[in-house]
Amino acid sequence: MVKFSSEELRRIMDKKHNIRNMSVIAHVDHGKSTLTDSLVAAAGIIAQETAGDVRMTDTRADEAERGITIKSTGISLYYEMTEESLASFKGDRDGNEYLINLIDSPGHVDFSSEVTAALRITDGALVVVDCIEGVCVQTETVLRQALGERIRPVLTVNKMDRCFLELQVDGEEAYQTFQKVIENANVIMATYEDPLLGDVQVYPEKGTVAFSAGLHGWAFTLTNFAKMYASKFGVDEGKMMQKLWGENYFDPATKKWTSKNSGAPTCKRGFVQFCYEPVKQIINICMNDQKDKLWPMLKKLGVTMKPDEKDLIGKALMKRVMQTWLPASAALLEMMIFHLPSPHTAQRYRVENLYEGPLDDQYANAIRNCDPEGPLMLYVSKMIPASDKGRFFAFGRVFAGKVSTGMKVRIMGPNYIPGTKKDLYTKSVQRTVIWMGKKQESVEDVPCGNTVALVGLDQFITKNATLTGEKEVDAHPIKAMKFSVSPVVRVAVRCKVASDLPKLVEGLKRLAKSDPMVVCSIEESGEHIIAGAGELHLEICMKDLQEDFMGGAELIQDDPIVSYRETVLDKSCRTVMSKSPNKHNRLYMEARPLEDGLAEAIDDGRIGQRDDPKVRVKILSEEFNWDKDLAKKIWAFGPETTGPNMVVDMCKGVQYLNEIKDHVCSGFQEASKYGALAEENMRGICFEVCDVVLHSDTIHRGAGQIMPTARRVMFASQLTAKPRLLEPVYLVEIQAPENALGGIYSVLNQKRGHVFEEMQRMGTPLYNIKAYLPVRESFGFSGALRASTSGQAFPQCVFDHWEMMTADPLEAGSQAQQLVEEIRKRKGIKAQLPPLSDFEDRL
Amino acid sequence: MQRVPMELASNYEIVQTAHFINSRKFTRVALQFPDELLKDSTRVVSVLRDELIKDSDGEDAGRDVGLFVMADTTYGSCCVDEVGASHVNADCVIHYGHTCLSPTSTLPAFFVFGKAAINVSDCTKSISECLSTSHKLVLILYGLEYAHVIDNIKESTMLESSAICGPKPGLALHYADVMCSIMDPSKDCSTGHEKLEVSDIPGNGDCSHSEQVGSITTGTNYNIGGLRWNLPEDHKMEDYLLFWIGSDNPAFANVLLTFNKSEIVRYDPIGNGLVKDVAHQGKILMRRYYLVEKAKDANIIGILVGTLAVAGYLRMIHQMKELITRAGKKAYTLVMGRPNPAKLANFPECDVFVYVSCAQTALLDSKEFFVPVITPFEAMLAFTRGSQWTGEYVMEFRELIGSSVEVDSNLEEPRFSFLKGGYVEDTDLQESVEEKETINSLAEATQKALQLRDKYPNSLVKGNAKSGAEFFSSRSYQGLEMPSEDSSPRSFVTGRTGKAAGYKDENNKQEDL
Repeated sequence: MVKFSSEELRRIMDKKHNIRNMSVIAHVDHGKSTLTDSLVAAAGIIAQETAGDVRMTDTRADEAERGITIKSTGISLYYEMTEESLASFKGDRDGNEYLINLIDSPGHVDFSSEVTAALRITDGALVVVDCIEGVCVQTETVLRQALGERIRPVLTVNKMDRCFLELQVDGEEAYQTFQKVIENANVIMATYEDPLLGDVQVYPEKGTVAFSAGLHGWAFTLTNFAKMYASKFGVDEGKMMQKLWGENYFDPATKKWTSKNSGAPTCKRGFVQFCYEPVKQIINICMNDQKDKLWPMLKKLGVTMKPDEKDLIGKALMKRVMQTWLPASAALLEMMIFHLPSPHTAQRYRVENLYEGPLDDQYANAIRNCDPEGPLMLYVSKMIPASDKGRFFAFGRVFAGKVSTGMKVRIMGPNYIPGTKKDLYTKSVQRTVIWMGKKQESVEDVPCGNTVALVGLDQFITKNATLTGEKEVDAHPIKAMKFSVSPVVRVAVRCKVASDLPKLVEGLKRLAKSDPMVVCSIEESGEHIIAGAGELHLEICMKDLQEDFMGGAELIQDDPIVSYRETVLDKSCRTVMSKSPNKHNRLYMEARPLEDGLAEAIDDGRIGQRDDPKVRVKILSEEFNWDKDLAKKIWAFGPETTGPNMVVDMCKGVQYLNEIKDHVCSGFQEASKYGALAEENMRGICFEVCDVVLHSDTIHRGAGQIMPTARRVMFASQLTAKPRLLEPVYLVEIQAPENALGGIYSVLNQKRGHVFEEMQRMGTPLYNIKAYLPVRESFGFSGALRASTSGQAFPQCVFDHWEMMTADPLEAGSQAQQLVEEIRKRKGIKAQLPPLSDFEDRL
Repeated sequence: MQRVPMELASNYEIVQTAHFINSRKFTRVALQFPDELLKDSTRVVSVLRDELIKDSDGEDAGRDVGLFVMADTTYGSCCVDEVGASHVNADCVIHYGHTCLSPTSTLPAFFVFGKAAINVSDCTKSISECLSTSHKLVLILYGLEYAHVIDNIKESTMLESSAICGPKPGLALHYADVMCSIMDPSKDCSTGHEKLEVSDIPGNGDCSHSEQVGSITTGTNYNIGGLRWNLPEDHKMEDYLLFWIGSDNPAFANVLLTFNKSEIVRYDPIGNGLVKDVAHQGKILMRRYYLVEKAKDANIIGILVGTLAVAGYLRMIHQMKELITRAGKKAYTLVMGRPNPAKLANFPECDVFVYVSCAQTALLDSKEFFVPVITPFEAMLAFTRGSQWTGEYVMEFRELIGSSVEVDSNLEEPRFSFLKGGYVEDTDLQESVEEKETINSLAEATQKALQLRDKYPNSLVKGNAKSGAEFFSSRSYQGLEMPSEDSSPRSFVTGRTGKAAGYKDENNKQEDL
């Protein structure tokens, strides 16, 4: 660990070329945190006075217990490069000292919002992949996310120790496995062709891939070995690197390099010959305690052990030797410094992704140039609970300018619209803080390119915000983050003691702040709802809420609620009509399902009410075969004016139609939010206004007459168009050895899941299973799976799609009908579905 | 022939009514009937007229008393319809049927509660059952239509419980009294606040003052919906089991919500059974809580005048207006009689309605309404920053007059909206205060709306309007378009004929289909 005073740290922060902001991303259990810990142990910056305090990453008790990371943690590392190793570095630099701001993020899919928040404020990513399990679903997800944010990746093939100790594979086999892993990662990266970012694929021979054993604290890149052999053989380091990967074979007998295996028993691939075998040899010697062989070898390698370490035996000895020989920190940090961009480099191309406003204004330029003298642009990506109850640090990154204590800043929330006062506050920063280990140190100011925590703004920021200087009134905000998961699992909470309600309300506010993903809301029935990405996420939220935000007040948690959607299967069997309360106006409507994919297009925002109508017409007519004239006659989207349902005007030559349009749309918003079946949102329904008969006096066709009628006629048309329920479905990915497959299948069968892909991982005994599982059945799924496979299978669930339930909710006794009844009961509405005659009138 | 008028006379308290009229020398009397009793009105009038003549023997026999039947009240039939009565220049009102006993503001009133049938022995049995099973003290409350049997019940429980649990049953059992059946207008209806001091004296049959929760030397007085009781000082309402005799009507809902922390059971005289519905009560409260949360997000608020009689309603409306303006929101006052979804939907610009009415008609909760309708108490919670929902609930708006929830010190913090799941800023408070209501305000708002026009004129999104004018200017339909070029008259077309329920040409069309 590196002992620092805050002044010293602050000094390096000014060297924008010597800063690396990076996140560590990977699938769950691929060893991110272990690897990070070994880096921190070597290079973590701690405050001078707390030196000796051992633990750096202050993990939560529940994180340790479960063995997974829940919250992302930021750590600053300091690394001083030697002059000679920097000789080949071509970029800008400012001395040999480097500051690496590293963010360790969780790998479990439920917490991927934390990853999103981490990616926003970093420029590079260390992708950790288990050498045996390979690239998994979450690796892929986060990698895609990273590339979407224009974050340059480097890769480390982790858990090398498993190769040597557990599987004991030989060199060539190991090479093939590594090659496969790297190839899989490159396949994903290759899809992101970005001229500004350049080639983002990783190559061992270029030094962008490391091989590491986080648990034992060692790692190497080909650079390490190339350097070693270059001096030994007297060849160029760069040339040596090329030889150490790919189709290059060396025969020590002939001392010749070939591009094909010559077939001679001594002829081996370069990587195997010069990298894999030596490591394997050392490890074996150590494990077998052949110390007489070990010392001379180490001497040859230039590794000196401390006297007390020489007494170690077996695994401990091996660990120590490897750490001394190939320290993980040196290999990985050098890789990051060499191959990941500095803020100055990265912001040049990231500005397009970041800034919402015009790309030629002074703010865009300041971000582009990472200009510490420019106007302040700071993005707050998450709120971190502070030690004093109820307060939060606003954690984020300075993209331009400097933020200083006492400075007055404009806080632009996610709903801010330039030129208005909506979601905008001007407040002064009470303190600017930087993290030194677990201790926070106040500093005068923080320049661009660095991460920072701010005190005194927490009351005005929900989850994230853009900060600028007080006078920068024409600045646009930085784009809001897009999350890859959505909160689909909801649970109702209430206090055991009714008088604790104010505490609960306060606690929910804080919970909403502390977690970028969680949504705290209130139901029609007055119940408080917490919505999260998955069961585990909710569990953690509940724990935080109860223990940290409510001071241990007792809570009652109901069973998780799954939200359904209402849709229709067919076109209404007839045109239905409803009369207004005064019987003077009549609306005729029909419902029909939206075309396949249209609801998704609306969800993705490809089609929406804010679009240019011309674009909308084009997409609808070309992709969904809509009539062009009809596409122009969309009245509204709903619910919330953005949802995946529509009202379309199909009338011909009706008088006063314009006048009632607004009223019909208001009725539609209401109807699509609380459908006729179970007051769930509608999805994928198109309401066609077929005909309208209106009273000739305005007063008799006012909003009061039309709005309720519109709602009724929409319900009637929904009920006549074979209404159905949609249920949310997870995509589940499970990795398990072959003998656990039986258990997995039987649990999936019990839970209405179905497997659609089963694949064996190359070179491993592991199987990869992909299945669909209804969200409703997913509660307790992990537990059941663990039990029936004796803990060998670990599922990852991500919301995938809405699936129609085949049962007819109008048919008494059907499964859907029971479900509808259940939902209605929970919502406190009459369990029985109202008859069609409640909504439809006859002439 | 003889039997029916007898029952009628006792049911409608003809003798007492006649005495009331004669003793006070009223000459023009309005008889207010709810819809369900209207069928008896003519008989009541004729019987009452006979009785009036009989009663007034010697003194001024020739006095002519005008009796007027009033029906179909504009607002809830539980309140005295003073406006209706003043149409005939009446000098008193006889109110029949279910009542909330809200104080009147100008006219004296005589209340006839009616006498509903009840099985006294069965009811007594239920009470003693409650007494023996519950370890709490029991307080008996009842619908006013059962007031006539309460003495019987009291007596018979006394007998029965003394048989069961010994000599001192009175300690465990408390009864509420009916406050009065005669009401004089409160003289100081405009200064409702002072009424707190002149709180009622127990046992006073004539109650000219409003039923405030006031404390007297011996304990705490409670009044609700025409019932009154007194608890010893060291007793709280939570210590009591409330035993309600009567049907599940607004009066019961009132008691339920006001004393939501007490355990409540209901004896149903029609079904002869005990109903223990605790969950039901929690549900109503939760729902109200939701409506309050929803109201917090509102920009435009409609104040619905739900009464023109209950003392202090004008003051309440003013107070509501002030509250809403202070919260930086816009208020419109609407008078529309009894609200229904269609009427309220005529004001789509309002995000929430505050319904100022007597306690028993105040709760309007139906999903039919497009926007929430809340009570003044809920409005005070919703529109006062920093106020918290504690579970305490006040139905009577008169208890709110003059009181104000103290304003939270950290007004600057944005509000957390549970509906949106995030922080929302409220309308800039100062700005809205400065903005004066001028004749030009409509034009100004329209101008503003025009500036904030969307990128695409045809986009289907509407902003959040801050005032009615702004709302109208954002509507897609702006009125008739004046075609400037084509001035030639349109050709003559035959219009529709027939009834609105189905015009003549339409019937044909249906057949074609």
